[in-house]
Amino acid sequence: MQVSMTVNGRVRKADVEPRLLLVHFLREHLLLTGAHVGCDTSQCGACTVIVDGRSAKACTMFAVQADGSTITTVEGLAANGQLHPVQEGFWDQHGLQCGYCTPGMIMSAVNLLQDTPHPTDRQIREGISGNFCRCTGYQHIVNAVRQAAGRR
Amino acid sequence: MRAFDVFTAKDSRHAVALLAEHAATSKVKVLAGGTDLLADLKFASASHAPDVVVDISRIEDLRSIAVTGDGLSIGALVTHTEIMRSPLIRDMFPAMVNAAHTIGAVQTRNLGTLGGNLVTAVPSVDSGPTLVALDALVTVLGPAGRRQMPLAEFFVGPRKTALKPDELLLEILIPTTSLGKPTCFLKFGLRKGQALALVNVAASFWVDRARNAFVAPRIALGAVAPKVVHASTAEAYLEGRAIAPEAMVEAGRLAVGDAKPISDFRASAEYRRDLVAVLTRRALEGAYELAKAKQSEK
Repeated sequence: MQVSMTVNGRVRKADVEPRLLLVHFLREHLLLTGAHVGCDTSQCGACTVIVDGRSAKACTMFAVQADGSTITTVEGLAANGQLHPVQEGFWDQHGLQCGYCTPGMIMSAVNLLQDTPHPTDRQIREGISGNFCRCTGYQHIVNAVRQAAGRR
Repeated sequence: MRAFDVFTAKDSRHAVALLAEHAATSKVKVLAGGTDLLADLKFASASHAPDVVVDISRIEDLRSIAVTGDGLSIGALVTHTEIMRSPLIRDMFPAMVNAAHTIGAVQTRNLGTLGGNLVTAVPSVDSGPTLVALDALVTVLGPAGRRQMPLAEFFVGPRKTALKPDELLLEILIPTTSLGKPTCFLKFGLRKGQALALVNVAASFWVDRARNAFVAPRIALGAVAPKVVHASTAEAYLEGRAIAPEAMVEAGRLAVGDAKPISDFRASAEYRRDLVAVLTRRALEGAYELAKAKQSEK
């Protein structure tokens, strides 16, 4: 099936099998390996990307579902060599250890701040509740999102 | 995942035509938000894997939330996030917003649809109890036309609905008699995020102001029977009775008898029975608080 989508500002077209998952399309066809495959069962959120302005787990979406969509992956956040404020926050606040969950965490945080620019800590925790981190205990991630929201 | 063919439906009639065309000879699945379907397909045995998927996600006529002459109509493709953000639903049925909020996590609510949640029909379906308590109807479309039935009858058993292979769920209708009815939904899970309900309960009733009595009380229980069920004994007990804390406690006790929970790795049947009593009482209290708040607004 022919699909066409705008990924990080570039129109990408391909002929794909209907069963191809969006995350595999991004990683293997477009070589955008930022979205990770963690649990592959829609639990861990490592594959989170933003589809038409809303976060989605790319392991639980077919590439054909995203036909015609606009997608942002973690690779599309930095602009002109300048990190996105959420990326800055993760850097400054040690929001990661192994880094596996990080791209998904960052995309969920971006999604949260787009809807809720000034979240409380509770809203931050809820905003990332679809993403698992097995290293940090989450506190540094909350601090990172808080910094990105302009609140130290 | 086994290979399949996908057909994209342009509108609901086209979807039904596709279902009718392929259901006779193939195993067919419907793709809406995909959050349940993909989880199933990844683990489906060869004998259950579909040959054909009908993609209804691009149908525009199943996305509206509107009050019509028949009640509040919610299109089957409305997502949980859209329910949470709808000013109309928030105002009329905060319980629906609260229920949607407990489903999955943000990413799942962004994709997952109300229709899909109901069609999957797991016994713990979080959007079920509130709608059953509001006497919601569902409209389905088949080759012969539309038919309507109570949601409580649409649910048949675990992952089983009254939907025929060539029928499509179009809308969920909360009838005019239930519009604005004070309703409370409560869910008990083992975590706040991404948890299945051990028990979920919705309670709904009108208040007879003159007598301060229950009118048309409804209590719907989830995750404690093969499908969402009415706590009929508790409902009958409350009908016309004076509103009092003792009556709510007794309704909770009676609701336990209406539940048929099983023990599994999440919780024992005994624990679930205790939860039914407590959550039913609290849901009744919550609905009464809403009723009082609505009264004081007037």
